[in-house]
Amino acid sequence: MSALSDLSARLRALLFPRRHQRELEEEMRFHVEREAEERGRRGADPDAARREAALAFGGVDRFKEEARDATGVRPLQDAAGDVRHALRGLRRNPGFACGAILVLGVGIGATAASFAVVDAVVLAPLPHPHAERLVRVYPRATRDYSNLSTVDYQAIRDQQRSFDAFGGVQLATMALSGAGEPQLVFAGRATTGFFQALGVVPAVGRLIQPRDETLGAPPVAVLSHELAGELFGGARAALGRAVTLDGKSHEVVGVLPGGPAAAAGLAGWPLGVWPAIQMETPTRRGPFWIRGIARLREGVTLAEAARDLAGISERIFPLWSAGFQEREARFTPVPLRDSIVGDAGRSLGLFAAAVALVLLIAVANVATLVLVRASARAQELAVRVALGAPRARLVRMVLVEGLTLTSFAGLAGLLVAALGVRLAGTLAPYLPRQAEVGLDWRALAFVAAATLIVGVLVSLPPLFAALRPGRAAGLGAGDRRVGPGRGTHAVRTALVTAEFALALPLLLGAGLLLNSFLRLQRVDPGFEAAGVVTTSVALPEARHPDEATPAFWRRVEALVAELGGIEAFGLSTELPPSQPGNENNFDLVDRPVPAGASQPTSPWVFATNGYFAALGVPLLDGRAFRAGDTAEAPPVAIVTEAWARRFYPGESPVGRQMITGGCLECPRTTIVGVVGDVKYLGLENAGEAVYLPFAQGEPRDAHFVARGRGTAAETLAALREVVRRLDPELPVAQATLAERLAGELADPRRWTVIVGAFGATALLLASLGVFALMSYSVRQRRREIGVRIALGAGPQSVTWMIVRRGMGVAVAGLALGLLLAVLEVRLLQALLFGVGAADPLTLAAAAAGLLGAALFACWLPGRNAARVSPLEALAAE
Amino acid sequence: MTTRTAEILQGTLEMLTLKALSLEPMHGWGIGQRIEQLSGGAFEVQQGSLYPALQRMLRKGWIRSEWRTSENNRRARYYRLTRAGERQLAVETEAWERTVDVIAVILRGRLAEDAS
Repeated sequence: MSALSDLSARLRALLFPRRHQRELEEEMRFHVEREAEERGRRGADPDAARREAALAFGGVDRFKEEARDATGVRPLQDAAGDVRHALRGLRRNPGFACGAILVLGVGIGATAASFAVVDAVVLAPLPHPHAERLVRVYPRATRDYSNLSTVDYQAIRDQQRSFDAFGGVQLATMALSGAGEPQLVFAGRATTGFFQALGVVPAVGRLIQPRDETLGAPPVAVLSHELAGELFGGARAALGRAVTLDGKSHEVVGVLPGGPAAAAGLAGWPLGVWPAIQMETPTRRGPFWIRGIARLREGVTLAEAARDLAGISERIFPLWSAGFQEREARFTPVPLRDSIVGDAGRSLGLFAAAVALVLLIAVANVATLVLVRASARAQELAVRVALGAPRARLVRMVLVEGLTLTSFAGLAGLLVAALGVRLAGTLAPYLPRQAEVGLDWRALAFVAAATLIVGVLVSLPPLFAALRPGRAAGLGAGDRRVGPGRGTHAVRTALVTAEFALALPLLLGAGLLLNSFLRLQRVDPGFEAAGVVTTSVALPEARHPDEATPAFWRRVEALVAELGGIEAFGLSTELPPSQPGNENNFDLVDRPVPAGASQPTSPWVFATNGYFAALGVPLLDGRAFRAGDTAEAPPVAIVTEAWARRFYPGESPVGRQMITGGCLECPRTTIVGVVGDVKYLGLENAGEAVYLPFAQGEPRDAHFVARGRGTAAETLAALREVVRRLDPELPVAQATLAERLAGELADPRRWTVIVGAFGATALLLASLGVFALMSYSVRQRRREIGVRIALGAGPQSVTWMIVRRGMGVAVAGLALGLLLAVLEVRLLQALLFGVGAADPLTLAAAAAGLLGAALFACWLPGRNAARVSPLEALAAE
Repeated sequence: MTTRTAEILQGTLEMLTLKALSLEPMHGWGIGQRIEQLSGGAFEVQQGSLYPALQRMLRKGWIRSEWRTSENNRRARYYRLTRAGERQLAVETEAWERTVDVIAVILRGRLAEDAS
């Protein structure tokens, strides 16, 4: 009751301050008049009665003031007054206001955008119910081999005791035909357990069921909401219809839910179609093709699940040890989110740190500016203190000013963040879960919090300076001579020092990334990309049975040969420079691995001789493939130079034999030649590879690689026509090798550009900081400088004096920045190629860049100082 | 020292105002008159100081105000006691009486000691 009346009384007084005031005045007037009337009635003459009444009442203004205080709205009204005061201040200094709002707005906005990205990619749980219980199951503790084999999958499915559900999925590109233009779609071939583990509920129809997994059962598929709409006009319409995947008709039994949540996909894979897997009975441990996904049983920890899986490993691995030995390997569960986010978490940490550094530098910069304004207003503050303004009042005034400024910056920051989040989709390097990035309420709360914190941070230095004892000294006329207190100057110097300290790690990071990028760009990929185009084709089994594929490829070669205009043409199952689609294990007959150790692996490429010609890869030793190297002939292989160096250093590998894929009964493969290195494992890795005759692989997927005489577009069109003539239903994917190379460099380039922009911003802001500091110092010391010049100091010595002081600040900042850099380099190492994170040259370059900028920034005010006219400076007193 | 006196005075003034209003609703001038009258002229209220006290008590919900026509046919703000105000008056009266008793004992004790 009392609290309510308190609130309502305050609210009335706050909302209707004029009316409240008027009523108080009327009430008091009535009082005095009534008193006068009373005294008149007792016989005083009217004038005297009025005088006496006023006297008896006391000071009207004083009581009015006290009454207003008593209503308890005073602090609020004062705060409103402070806001008005702050707004007036900003209007008076539009240049300062715009600059500060821009700098802080960009800082806050960039930080908020990066928060939104980090939040969506790293922090937010996966969009599945109880996502914290989802795990990925790997066949060993390291993530090099990420897939399970059929043996592994079936053993875990049948023996595990830790999971509510366990399933598998194989990611594949499939040819979708039957509805319109044949197209390639991303498919996730999945088992019943995959959907169960994720807790997926279909929008219509059903999901994959165990009976769909039986060999020979009618093939079924689940569609994404988007693809169902695209193909059939809606989820319901798609039900029961057929889609042709790789030439085989699949019945659509269900459609996944749509909406924004669907963009994230299942387990991080936003795929269009999810056909059921039908597994053949395995005859050996490999191949490794299926990704294991599981949901932990409620209450079961990761460690318990790991023990359970280790038990299964120990039971089944010995059964298959003849073909695949790995003594140390154990099935390992990893939280699904960690497995999806992977190394992106580290990169994003670096990114967020860089953004935060830029924001801090911006804050230091604006704090310096605010401090300059505060010094200019030292007199005003001194007067307020002298007139008895309480400290709390002063603190509030400065805080309200800071917060008013940053509120505008926060609004600007919102715009910047919205823009930044939009750009993150296109400009940023590839990130997992990118579809989930957006400005949600968490990002808005972040902007609000950042605005508040920045407002306080910006206010701290002026507060510190204003509250120092001896502030009242500013009242004296002499303050013009001594300038602002030592305290203010110390705070400003400290701020500029901090700016340099924060800028060094940013510049160092940018330098290291640039250095690393340039090295990566100079890496020899092992082929001449110019003029080479690729066309990729996958033959669906339904239309091209196994026995027909060799003939199909031979016809392709024959048709291309007829074309003319194509200089070199070949077929292969892999394309450089990355995405090793197929790797195989092998054991050298003359150098077998010790019992129990894992066998080495290498990219495994089936290719024709024309492939080497098209890429410009030289034959260095032995022979090329021959027409006689067919499926019936003994298997042969050609290895790359890097492979030869690793396994036969200083010797020729030609004539050596190996057991491949752990197949002891298969005929041994003889190495017949050595060719130049080609990068298949990414530019940053060695160019090891094993080539096998295309005819000995009988592949169903192939890349056509052609070096044409005409333009890339002409060559691509010619290749497309070849495919169309052989099978018009086949979808083709086309690209130039130059594009693939550029794609490989795209992410490093983006990192370099982003961190480079941050570094440049930091450099600019720090230089501005030291420039402002020294300019201000010169203004304050005009008289002293005038005296020096009058006493015969040359312009150089005056300039040098200013520059020396400014550079002292910069150097101190750099020294502090070195400490930060030490912390930084450990984060950065993972993103670098061919350059150590502690690279002294890059560090020296970053420091030199900062010092150079600082020198220029100090020289400008130093030159101005040398131009001070002694007469003018002294006369100004 | 002076602040302490002021606090006591302030507290007393509020209590006396509540007492005055417990008889009938009144405007500010009337309250002052009534207190003087009740005290037999021993208390002279600094008239203006009534108004901050009234604002305080409004805020605490002890009194309510409304504009009415006064005895001399003018518009005046009248105050009346609320339930909370009545309770407060009772509480303050009791507390005051206890304070007076205690102080009386102390003062007498002092005097006794002085005498010895």
